[in-house]
Amino acid sequence: MTSSAALADGPAPDASAWATDDPASRIRRWTEGYAPRPGLADEMVDARGELRGGWPRFLERLARLDDREVAARFLSAERHIRDAGISYRVYGDGREHPWPLGSLPLVIDAADWAELSAGIVQRAGLMERIVADIYGPGRLVAEGFLPAGVVAGSPEYLRPVHGIAPPGGRWLPIYAADVGRGPDGCWRVLADRTQAPSGLGYALENRMVLARAFPDLFADLHVERLPGFFQAFRAGLAASCARSDPRICLLTSGPYSSTYVEQAALARYLGFLLVEGDDLVVRDGLLHVRTVAGLKRADAVWRRIDADYLDPMELRSDSRLGVPGMLQALRRGGAVVGNMPGSGVLESAALSPYLPAIARALTGEELRLAGPDTWWCGDPDGLRHVLAHLDRLTLRPAATPVRGPERDAMLAGPALDAARARALAALRERPFDWVAQEPAPLSTMPAWQDGRLAPRPFVMRVFAAATPEGWRVLPSAFCRVAEHDGADPSEMRAGIRSADVWVLSDTPIDAPPLLLSTAPRIRRIAGHLPSRAADNLFWFGRYLERAEAVIRLVQAHLGGFSGALAADASGEEGGPTALAIRALLKEWGSVEAADLSPAALAQEALSGKMRYGSALAHVMEARRIAASLRERLPMESWRALADLRDTLVYAEAWAPTEAQLFGKAERALGHLAALAGLAHENMGHGTAWRFADMGRRVERAINTCRFAVDFCDREASAEDLGVMLSLADSQIAYGSRYLTGVSRDAVCDMAVLDPGNPRSVAYQVQAIVAHLEVLPALAADGLPETHRRRALALAGTLQTADAAETEGEALEHIETELEGLADRIASRYFPNGPDALRPEKLTGLA
Amino acid sequence: MIYTLRHLTTYRYARAVRSARCNLRLRPRDGEGQRVLEAALTVTPAPKSRLERADFFGTDTLTLLIDEPHRTFAVEAVSRVAVERPVPPEPEAGPSWEAVRAAALRLPTLGPDGPAHFQFPSQRVPIVPAVTDYARASFPPGRSALGGAIALMHRIRSDFRFDAEATTVSTPLAEAFALRAGVCQDFAHVMIAALRGLGLPAAYVSGYLCTRPPPGRPRLRGADASHAWVALWCGEGSGARDGWIGLDPTNDCVVRDEHIVVARARDYADVAPIDGIVSAAGAQKLTVEVDVVPEDEAA
Repeated sequence: MTSSAALADGPAPDASAWATDDPASRIRRWTEGYAPRPGLADEMVDARGELRGGWPRFLERLARLDDREVAARFLSAERHIRDAGISYRVYGDGREHPWPLGSLPLVIDAADWAELSAGIVQRAGLMERIVADIYGPGRLVAEGFLPAGVVAGSPEYLRPVHGIAPPGGRWLPIYAADVGRGPDGCWRVLADRTQAPSGLGYALENRMVLARAFPDLFADLHVERLPGFFQAFRAGLAASCARSDPRICLLTSGPYSSTYVEQAALARYLGFLLVEGDDLVVRDGLLHVRTVAGLKRADAVWRRIDADYLDPMELRSDSRLGVPGMLQALRRGGAVVGNMPGSGVLESAALSPYLPAIARALTGEELRLAGPDTWWCGDPDGLRHVLAHLDRLTLRPAATPVRGPERDAMLAGPALDAARARALAALRERPFDWVAQEPAPLSTMPAWQDGRLAPRPFVMRVFAAATPEGWRVLPSAFCRVAEHDGADPSEMRAGIRSADVWVLSDTPIDAPPLLLSTAPRIRRIAGHLPSRAADNLFWFGRYLERAEAVIRLVQAHLGGFSGALAADASGEEGGPTALAIRALLKEWGSVEAADLSPAALAQEALSGKMRYGSALAHVMEARRIAASLRERLPMESWRALADLRDTLVYAEAWAPTEAQLFGKAERALGHLAALAGLAHENMGHGTAWRFADMGRRVERAINTCRFAVDFCDREASAEDLGVMLSLADSQIAYGSRYLTGVSRDAVCDMAVLDPGNPRSVAYQVQAIVAHLEVLPALAADGLPETHRRRALALAGTLQTADAAETEGEALEHIETELEGLADRIASRYFPNGPDALRPEKLTGLA
Repeated sequence: MIYTLRHLTTYRYARAVRSARCNLRLRPRDGEGQRVLEAALTVTPAPKSRLERADFFGTDTLTLLIDEPHRTFAVEAVSRVAVERPVPPEPEAGPSWEAVRAAALRLPTLGPDGPAHFQFPSQRVPIVPAVTDYARASFPPGRSALGGAIALMHRIRSDFRFDAEATTVSTPLAEAFALRAGVCQDFAHVMIAALRGLGLPAAYVSGYLCTRPPPGRPRLRGADASHAWVALWCGEGSGARDGWIGLDPTNDCVVRDEHIVVARARDYADVAPIDGIVSAAGAQKLTVEVDVVPEDEAA
């Protein structure tokens, strides 16, 4: 998002009257010509064109800021989104798109909201009872309230779930509905979201961003706060668990899921463990999570993967995302899952026509919120009506939400095209696959256009959480606004922006209670680290260190080692030292050919997009891994990584000079140092930090060892030794310790053996030993495990070694041992270590 | 007729498997003109835990957890089953296919035999327009559902080639249909898709078929195979017990006493005799031996 686009989104960038006009004339200028489409409801103005609801209050307060100020605040909100890396993916598209936060919030007054929430609460309760009946006694079908074909035809009707009583007693810990305002001004439900509704995290992010940009408006307008809802949701899940202090996981389909960033943000906010299917395992009918301390009980799972992928033993057997035995664990009450698998059956569009009668039968009440006027064509009367009114109805698959290529299959009335002709043929043979709906045009809300407000169609997703005190509705929503009339805001994609929703209370809002009324048991350990997170942290550290090694090599090559010691040896281009550096860069895959000009070589090794071993490639790899660690890394590291990437990518000139490239390398090292500092100073020194640090240490030790083999062996020249000191960042320390000039053994001792030098191999190994000592052991027999024994042996070797003998094979032996140690750590702690067995499907027609 | 069944499945792995979790669906069904007289199961290596239950469609499902490293996994299921089914109804006498389709939708039941489960696409049986077009020729307006289905079965038998090399266990239905070739599983899936394309309730049945060796030749041990066919719901007034009639497109016959039913569900994915997950790092090789010996041949 460029700044000019952001400005175009705000008030007019070049209005002449800016500084001088008063709030009232600003409002007039903004709303001048605002014309909702006839026959449609609008959030801001009523049929007579008067401002309605909370809008007068909101606009009056906003207009106290001049246009420039308003635009600047929205711009700062967008910058925050970029810096925080909030993004989403479009289905079928691998790229991450920055989160498109539209400008104005949707403003709703308290009375209006109360009515909507009462309808949502009723509907959530009704849905819970329907799904419990479908998978339980089946009375609704047996007594004729619900046709069997409506249930059986839903791909989300999961037969293996039949007969399971949900552990914790609830099918739907969370319910969401997409709502809009009908032409009559009443709220209507457009779709129920019961499978794994997304958007809660984006609603939270939108709020955090706008609350930072407009703190004064929030206070003055009495905007309802969100934390209470999230606490209640968490408390509701926790109350369903058997243990009093439960471990709750958020089960994601992984970093390539379209809403992964949101899932990570929610896990972080709610304090849930972010896990993928193979982090979980069912043992003895109970659900467990794989951690670095072995298997630990997982009490509840908030499921964000589609239910049919949840258990390859009973649902889709080709699923690699799920947990084998999960349904059996549910049968035995071994875990709470929200929402229960099979809840997606409630999303079927064919359910809609039967809801009013079901509501009366089950609750004795009329449905407060109407759905779209819908007919299921499997019902003979419904089909008759549809055939008689085909020209003004919209046909759509009954089994919604449809997945895959038919996702957008929706055949509007007037366009009698080939697809519709096919649908009509299908209506004759398989009418029960279709529903027809009266088109429901969406109501509009204001958005900026050319410095004025213009009406735009929107859809709002409202959330309700089941808590021990009943359903609780989030006093805000995930709102999607179309940038133009043609875009359909029911799904995030190009042309759709999101908006925060402000519910304006009539009375001041109490600040959320920050102090808990009952003190929790004090603890210093953040819970067991899942093996996958440990794996990712370890490699995050390794890739950053790898990038640093490449950058230091480039610097050495560009003559950056011309410090105090090696002023006279700054490297001839074709000299043996330079050749050795080039050979190593080629071996590491940082450059393709070793005979480029120094500038071209440096450019490619630093920023080569096509080189798997360039510094940029390692940084991108670290960034990819960091995406899976969002909830564990300090917030600022995301920005530091973005800066590091930008530094490497930025081209100073078409053909940068050696000096420019040297400067680039220096700046990149600065960002790496900042990242290291963030990890050390801003991450709790718990298990997560230890794994990130171990990754860094292992990689640094291996690289330093390798440098020593190439630049500090028996025949090393003065120039070689200068490079060695530069690569080990030890020139200054050396200079202050030895006044006589470079000596091979002294350099080797400093770079490899000196445990007091934070860049030496020995220092790294001691740090690893210290980490391993406090990491959890699998057995309680007090014996060191294999990987720890190996680390201790290596530390011993380094402690007792003599610099004069640490050369040739001895150095190579240390390097091999280090790589072996890294492998041992991986197979002990990580799910995908070198000895990992992959789950395979039993195949074949037996 | 009483049959003795033996079904031996052996998986051999290139590298040791650390643990395995599998479902066995091998026990013949009780009911539907069948009675299980004896049933025994041997599994090596011995499972750490076993759990037996009937799944949604009533198939006996044994879930095993094997928690020791192994290179070979073998399952031998042996049973004796008595089969005696009523004479199938007169094909053209039953209700029309349109009436069957409507009746299936009206039935207010989601019980395991309820026809509504079998009218919709399932994991292995999508609705394929080309297959529906193929089916239409056998179903002129007003024809009895069973009569149309039998005519469709004749056509599949004559248009399709039995060829074990043409498809694998995971070949998609549309591909087998385009090839006009495959094995019993493909024939059954194609016929089910054809019937469901017209809205008729059609189920996948897995089990065994008794084959007779050529006259004068001895029965070869292990030479039989597990089998699959189709069941059509022909309506409550069709004369069939609870409405279901078995049709075997591979052999072009209405099911009588030569077929032994293990499971009836929506498609192969619901009834695979053995499936599950193993933690493995290498290839697996599968061998299967099946014997179906009628008691009049024994001794």
